[in-house]
Amino acid sequence: MTHLYSVTLGVLVVAGLLTLVRLVHGPRALDRIMALDVIVTMVIAGTAVGMTLRDDSTALPVLVVLALLAFIGSVTAAHLVEKRKGMR
Amino acid sequence: MTLLRDVVTAVLFLTGACFCLLGAVGLLRFRDTVSRLHAASKAQTLGLLLILVGAAVNRPLRDAPVLLLVALFQLFNAPITSQIVGRTAYRTHAVDRRRLFSDELADRLARDGTPLREQGGLTPDKEEGKNPDDEDR
Amino acid sequence: MSPRKRSRRILHHLPLVVWLWLLWVVLWGSLSAVVLVGGLLAALLIVALFPLPSVLPGAVPRPLWIGALLFHLLVDLIRSGTTVAWAAVRHGGRTRSAIMEVPLHIDDDVLITVVAEITTIAPGTVVIEIDRRRRRLYVHTLPVRDQETVDLRKKETQDLERRVARSVGYRHAPPGRGSPIDPSDVPPRDGTPPDHRGERG
Repeated sequence: MTHLYSVTLGVLVVAGLLTLVRLVHGPRALDRIMALDVIVTMVIAGTAVGMTLRDDSTALPVLVVLALLAFIGSVTAAHLVEKRKGMR
Repeated sequence: MTLLRDVVTAVLFLTGACFCLLGAVGLLRFRDTVSRLHAASKAQTLGLLLILVGAAVNRPLRDAPVLLLVALFQLFNAPITSQIVGRTAYRTHAVDRRRLFSDELADRLARDGTPLREQGGLTPDKEEGKNPDDEDR
Repeated sequence: MSPRKRSRRILHHLPLVVWLWLLWVVLWGSLSAVVLVGGLLAALLIVALFPLPSVLPGAVPRPLWIGALLFHLLVDLIRSGTTVAWAAVRHGGRTRSAIMEVPLHIDDDVLITVVAEITTIAPGTVVIEIDRRRRRLYVHTLPVRDQETVDLRKKETQDLERRVARSVGYRHAPPGRGSPIDPSDVPPRDGTPPDHRGERG
């Protein structure tokens, strides 16, 4: 069964690499902001899978902090993009 | 009993990871920012939710509330992020007009007398660098 | 302030204090006395320092409708993930989308926020603009095949709004306030053009 968990991690890594392409290539800043949010989301998912694999709960605060960071970071960055474009 | 729990966790994990993967594929394949928002917010959130629920099933009872809390938090904050990004995207012309079937917001803005500033149309990915809006590389 | 009003104000804030306290205890992960007492103090401090205006006065939570709302939310969550995943795989870059305008009947900040959130969670729709003053949501939807799809999604959003309104016992604005004439189509008397770009939120 733990093999399946490792497969999950593998799938998440592939997804992360695809998002990395968007992060590098995405023509606009907004695309990059979204890609970063997605990557952090996948890091949260990967941490949860890793916790199950290793049967180790010490990474629990990491999940909370990452979730908060992703949210506040994306919102702030999007606001700054809008401000820079002179839309406000 | 633990076998059943492990099977449930494995199914949830794999399904969640597949949704994350398909969300990333959508992030790559869709042509404009607002469509990518669909993939990023919906598929990724669902994938994360499934994975966190799978982890909550498998971890001892102490961890489950925190995991479910994070899942709930993501569920309710992803739409907020996507609304703000979507609004900025629309106002900075990040919408691919060729794929747009109808745009009632532009119609309404035109009717109100405050049309969205159109500067030679939108930027499909190929035409980078030609649109003066694209200062934010 | 009369003691009755004061007790009513405390009662208003009680759910928030309890919720914050619960969050604190869950996040610390232990039920020791320090955590419990500290959590209570922290919750009270936060609610005292950052008082929120009382939300939805006169709201009557209807558990049956709330249950239906939650059920539909769960189903929609799964459907939306599969819809987007399928659209990504099947059509990819050729996916067509549309931006539609959904007029709302609800006129309350919290409820409109809830409707916008659940609309974004629902399959195929993402809210990109909220016109609070004129009570309209602008929703970007994909995949779109023809006008029928757009109308269907618009109807789904309005059904969602109705479900949210019913679950808190919200009564629509009495006739005469939400008049059928769209106020933005009538030029205001002082001659300034209606300003959409300055809208907040």
